[in-house]
Amino acid sequence: MLRKVLVANRGEIAVRIVRALREAGISSVAVYSDADRASLAVKMADEAVHIGPAPSSESYLRIDKIIDAAKRTGADAVHPGYGFLSENAEFAEACASAGIIFIGPPASAIRMMGSKTSARQVAIAAGAPVVPGTEEALRDPDRAREIAKKLGYPVLLKAAAGGGGKGMRRVDREQDLEAALRDASSEALRAFRNDEVYVEKLVVEPRHIEIQVLGDQHGHMIHLGERECSIQRRHQKVIEECPSPVMLAHPELREKMGEAALKVARAAGYANAGTMEFLVDRDRNFYFLEMNTRLQVEHPVTELATGIDLVQWQLRIAAGEKLTLQQSDITWTGSAIECRVYAEDPANQFLPSPGKITYLEQPSGPGIRLDSGVYQGWTVPLDYDPMLAKLAVWAPTRELAIERSRRALREYIVAGIRTNVAWFDQILDHLDFRSGALSTAFLDRFEAKPRESDPEAEAVAALVAAITSAKPERPQEVCKSSAWRDAGRAEMMRS
Amino acid sequence: MSVRREIFIDGRGAALEFDESRFTFDDVERVYSIAPLTTGSFSVLIGERSYEAVVNGREIIVDGRSFNVDVFDPREMRGRKSADADQGRANIAAMMPGKVVRVLVAEGDEVEAGQGLIVVEAMKMQNEMKAPKAGRVIEMKSREGATVAAGEILLVIE
Repeated sequence: MLRKVLVANRGEIAVRIVRALREAGISSVAVYSDADRASLAVKMADEAVHIGPAPSSESYLRIDKIIDAAKRTGADAVHPGYGFLSENAEFAEACASAGIIFIGPPASAIRMMGSKTSARQVAIAAGAPVVPGTEEALRDPDRAREIAKKLGYPVLLKAAAGGGGKGMRRVDREQDLEAALRDASSEALRAFRNDEVYVEKLVVEPRHIEIQVLGDQHGHMIHLGERECSIQRRHQKVIEECPSPVMLAHPELREKMGEAALKVARAAGYANAGTMEFLVDRDRNFYFLEMNTRLQVEHPVTELATGIDLVQWQLRIAAGEKLTLQQSDITWTGSAIECRVYAEDPANQFLPSPGKITYLEQPSGPGIRLDSGVYQGWTVPLDYDPMLAKLAVWAPTRELAIERSRRALREYIVAGIRTNVAWFDQILDHLDFRSGALSTAFLDRFEAKPRESDPEAEAVAALVAAITSAKPERPQEVCKSSAWRDAGRAEMMRS
Repeated sequence: MSVRREIFIDGRGAALEFDESRFTFDDVERVYSIAPLTTGSFSVLIGERSYEAVVNGREIIVDGRSFNVDVFDPREMRGRKSADADQGRANIAAMMPGKVVRVLVAEGDEVEAGQGLIVVEAMKMQNEMKAPKAGRVIEMKSREGATVAAGEILLVIE
């Protein structure tokens, strides 16, 4: 049993973990940078330790400072959340050598699954399907043609040392292969000083579906089904759901993917919560992509559909307890959808919008779970990623979950900064979204409709602006209406 | 007795006339009632239709839709609109709050249309401001490392 846990993170996930700790009767320690002194997590935690200036390289990414804070407060474990140090094997090792429990997998598993290429090797050895392709460097165009033909077009050329789309080329026809190979290698050479390029089958308009696994330190592991995360903008997930619409129609796919995920996780010697990401094509073939060796941002949809609290299990597993759930205990009820609320402006190229939240109304009512890290008056710092909150809803069916999400989004009012709250309504209302015809290309094609004019709303805006901009004494001169006077008074107090 | 205001709503001009229970906007008269909720938010009934309005400076959010509204008293409007007639100048303003991470030009530099001028970063995202037209940088108001607000003028091209 853990007594005190340090949360090595910030924002909504720090709040999520502090809440879990309080429910478990475990003391919580928050850490904070200069920018987060007044954060929700600091306010909610039992203790809080300052770890440095705003830049994360000088605070949330500093292993030494976090270990020091844990020692100083007598924490017996550290929860890394997601991002920052959560997939850093050195951090897991530093915790161990300081006698502090790292709430996550063993460092060896982080290392093994941390790089895409080594994770792919583990998956192949474990017999899980991966995107067909080769890891051998392709220099000879004839050899490349031979392999591409075997894989079938379209294929994807990828820099072996790659990342961020550099050295990547889609090739649809054999006659384009040679030139693409030349371009990709020279681009790879420039970007990574390594011209090695390999070839992979291109999965066209795939779905991104991931499997949650949960295992104890005694060799028992189960999966908690899938999350569909196909709605992505620039490779960033924005909407996730459980169950996936594919699984609703084809429940046997969940079994097959769950089995594959468990095989890979076992091969990696995995324990605690983890996620296997897969691409799924139109014919429901699935291919292992990579593993996230930590709690996922979108874990609430799994919790809502299965009724299992992943963070509580992370704590118990880290303390050495046995996972008492069997695979047959896991069932999925209803439908859960999560929208990631970002401080960004959909009307202005999604540019970040940090700043002070001058007004905040948050949705509530049946089926709403809001994991938020902000409050009215909080200044969203410009130093970190722009996620403010996750709005997750549960309803008995997917259709009702969509309507409930839209209802909740309408209740959600944030002023002072721009958010993507209203943008979600259009996605959720899209015909393809409603029918479950999702793919990672969905948002590439999606265009927010220019909003229809609403003369009534416009008239209200004009009226309210006129009333609140009136100098307080003037309305009283001309009018005795109490509501009007109150409005003027409210305006006075506001400034 | 009623009050008259000139309204600019999302850049469109219109007249508004109101008293304590009626207002006319775009030549349509409506009956209304307004009640303050918490600071900065109001319940508005137009007839019996219910709206919520949130006031954030010149931004008014009505049922989740945002409008930019400027209000002028027609009695104070004479002489307005002559100020920013500077045809040849272009103020380069920050599109978002953030930090200036790179300044690519200096005062006195000749720049071409589309040339990168300055890079602002926030939340791990960089935004390069480009020259809207060819000209000369006549004023550099920012420097590397400076924190800037949205709309803040970073440099001026002529």
